[in-house]
Order: sequence, then structure tokens, then C-alpha cells
Amino acid sequence: MTEISNLSLLTMIIFVMIPVSMSYYFSLGISKSAIWSSLRGVVQLFLIGYILTLLFSMEDWQGVGLWVTVMLVIAALQAAKRGKGIPFAFWLSFVSLVIIEVFVLSIWIAFDIIPFKSEQVIPMSGMIIGNSMVASGLAFERMKNEFSDSRGKILAALSLGAKPAEASKMIIRKTIKASMIPNVDSLKTIGLVQLPGMMTGLILGGASPIDAIRYQIVVSISIFSCVSICAMIISLVTYRFFFNKDMQLLTFEGGD
Amino acid sequence: MKPIIAVNNVKNERVKNVDFEIMEGTLTTVIGPSGSGKSSLIMLLNRLTDPEEGEIFYKGKHIVDYPINELRRKIGVVFQQPNLFDGTVEDNLKFGPNLRKEWNSKLGVSLLDKVQLPEEFLTKEVDHLSGGEQQRVAFARTLANNPDVLLLDEATSALDMRTVDLMEELLEFLVNEEGKTIIMITHDLKQAERLGTYTLFMNEGSLEEKGHTKELFNNPTTEALKRFLEG
Repeated sequence: MTEISNLSLLTMIIFVMIPVSMSYYFSLGISKSAIWSSLRGVVQLFLIGYILTLLFSMEDWQGVGLWVTVMLVIAALQAAKRGKGIPFAFWLSFVSLVIIEVFVLSIWIAFDIIPFKSEQVIPMSGMIIGNSMVASGLAFERMKNEFSDSRGKILAALSLGAKPAEASKMIIRKTIKASMIPNVDSLKTIGLVQLPGMMTGLILGGASPIDAIRYQIVVSISIFSCVSICAMIISLVTYRFFFNKDMQLLTFEGGD
Repeated sequence: MKPIIAVNNVKNERVKNVDFEIMEGTLTTVIGPSGSGKSSLIMLLNRLTDPEEGEIFYKGKHIVDYPINELRRKIGVVFQQPNLFDGTVEDNLKFGPNLRKEWNSKLGVSLLDKVQLPEEFLTKEVDHLSGGEQQRVAFARTLANNPDVLLLDEATSALDMRTVDLMEELLEFLVNEEGKTIIMITHDLKQAERLGTYTLFMNEGSLEEKGHTKELFNNPTTEALKRFLEG
């Protein structure tokens, strides 16, 4: 693989300066944040590079255990932000992400799809956890919006004698569907519109396109399944918090 | 005549120390300015909310002693908005009966007949109905549970004159022929006077006056009701 030298990397400043000068020219007021976010991104990536080098030098179970835990906590914290106002949002997203990670990893290892090596497990888990984090956040947000928009319908269902689970059925269905749609769409156009990041990385790293797509298939299908499971767990647990024990609809405050 | 509902000294954040009885097989109209607690009062009767203080009895038994879904089936509500579920008219009509596995399509036809909609409506998507048709389906959906008491929260206020007439006919039929008890919130004072046997007047969360509709409209005793009737 061709190495990008530090000097070549510095030329990236040109690319940063384009949006910055546009911001000046059009008075967009985002030049500071453009510089700051680019700088932060570079530092973050270098830091991760060194951390990964360190992790890969450790025993596999240590490296994987440590970094996957860090990823799970950060992802759960991020997803829980979208679930502001919902009790136990952090723990709920944390547990569902753990379930997903354990499930996916067991299948990968059991069926010899990838070996239990930090270099393989960490980046692939990162993709699964990252996508599931987005799905959890969306599921939280969607639930809150649906419960507020469909308040009248839920009250109507309750007043007809429905239990919370029956009254929330339509909302749960909509939430799960909504969180699956982006993946359904991206699977339909995968490779046609944009080569997925992982596949691009493998090809750049010297892998043959056919080997690269094998990995991509594993990751894309695993992500699809995990996102659906995640949205399902979040929806099936979260709807209960919108009712009290007397099957009365609660008003939820909070949110962004 | 015996009371089917008795409300004793009920209080929550919107309703203050309310006391009244509703006689079985009558139509009671509830009037009062916006924000006077009328809707909050109705929500208490089938436990969509609970009072902070006081007691409510249905057929002589405290409402908290009924299984909550059975109580809600017996005391049905029609809201101002139809709030229909996605799907067909039949999907909506069978929602309540299906919860108890008691649905059959003959029931659907007779329900539509009650609200004067043709049988073909069963398969129509609710999105394709007019506002008036949707509200009639909402009525039929509540009637599908065969409730003893029907709570109407401004259920006819968004309808055109013709549909209002149809609904009023239906209400009279339900009370006179089927012996249902109806509690109806309305902003239309003429409608309240025309349909009600009894009337409750709510003002700032309090039940200021209650009594026979004719008497209450002809001889209001409180200043608040006098002012309200004068508009």
C-alpha cells in the first residue's frame, strides 16, 4: 500500500481552506468551526491510530474487550441523548447494543466468517455499533414524536379498551419500519452510487475487489439485521414508559 | 330512575370539587366556556386520567374496582377529532370487538347503518373519507363496543349541519330506543338545550350549576351562567 507522507498530508490544508474562504466570502460565519472541526478530526484520527496500534499489540481478548466496551459506552451515551426524557435511556441503549454485539460476534466467530483478532473484530464491531447507535437514537426520537403526534389516536385506542401494547402497536410498527428504511435503500444501491467505505479501504489496502465485497456483504447484511433488532428492542421496551400502571397515557417532557 | 354515574367531590388540577349524578338512560349536556374543565371532567369518567381527590361510582361500584379495559368499554368516548386508525373503515370498527375476539362482519354493516353510511364503506380507506364521514365512523367505532354510557367531547362541533342533524337523530335513538346514557359536551347552546334532559354548567373548573335543562336555561341562578347564556 502506498504510504501518504506527512508533507502530502499537509497539502490537505488546501481542501480545508476552500470551505473556510467560502465562509468568509459569503459571510457564513462557520470558518472558525470549519478550522476547529478539521483540526479536531485530524487529532482524533491520529490518536485513534495510536490507540489501535497499542490495542493490536495486546492479547486479542484484551484489545477487543477494552475497545469494544469503550465503543459501547460512547455509542450508548450518544443514542441516549436522543432519548432525553425517557427513563433509563442510557441503560436501554447500552443493553441493546451489548446484545447486538454479542449476537453478531458469536455468529461471525462460530461460522468462521472472521477470526477473533483485534484487527478484524474491532473495526467490524465499530461499524455494527456505530450504525446501531444511529438506529437507537432514531428509534428514541421517532417514539417520542409519534407519541406526541398520535396522542389522539392512542387515547382513542385506550378508550376503546386497548391495553398500552395494543394501543402502541401502530407506533411500534412505524418506528421499526422507519429505522429499517435507510438500510433497505442503501442496500438497494450499494456499490452503484458509492463504494462502501470498508470496501474502498480494503481495495486501497491491496485486497482484490472480490475479497473486498465478501467483507462488505458480511458487514452490510450484519448491519441491516442489527439495526432492525436494535429498533425493535428500543421500541418494545420504550413504549411502556409512555403509560402508567393504570393504562393512562403520560405526557412526556424533554427532548432536544 | 337510578344514577348510573355518581361523582363525589372530585378534584384534580383542572377540576375543583365537582359533585353530580347522572341518571341512567338520559342525555346530559355539559356547557361552559373554553378551558372550564369540561373535557378534563369527561376524561375522569372512564379513567383516561384519575382525580387527585374524590370518588367516582359507576353502577354503584367505585370505578377503580372495575378492570380498567372493561370500564372503558362500558363508558365509551367520541372525541372532537375522529382520530381514526390507519387502514379501512372495517379495521376501525373491529378494533374494540377484536380485543375480545367478538368481531363479525354483520356487526360492521349494522354499525354503519346506525350512522347512515352504506355497507360499501367497510372496505374504504379512512383517508379517502370526508371529515363528516370520518366522524360518523368514529361514532360507529365507539358503538361497536356496545357501551352503556357514551361520552361526547364536542363530537359534533366540526361537522356540517346535515351531519349534525344525523348525529342528533342517532343520539335520540340511542337514548330513547336503546336506553343508553349520554354525556355530551357542546359549545352549541341551542343544541345543549334541544337535546339535554339535564345540563351541567362548568366554569373555571367548578360545577357552578346543574339541573333539568329547561329550568337551567330558563332560570339560571348564578351570575356566571346568566352571563354565559347571554353570550
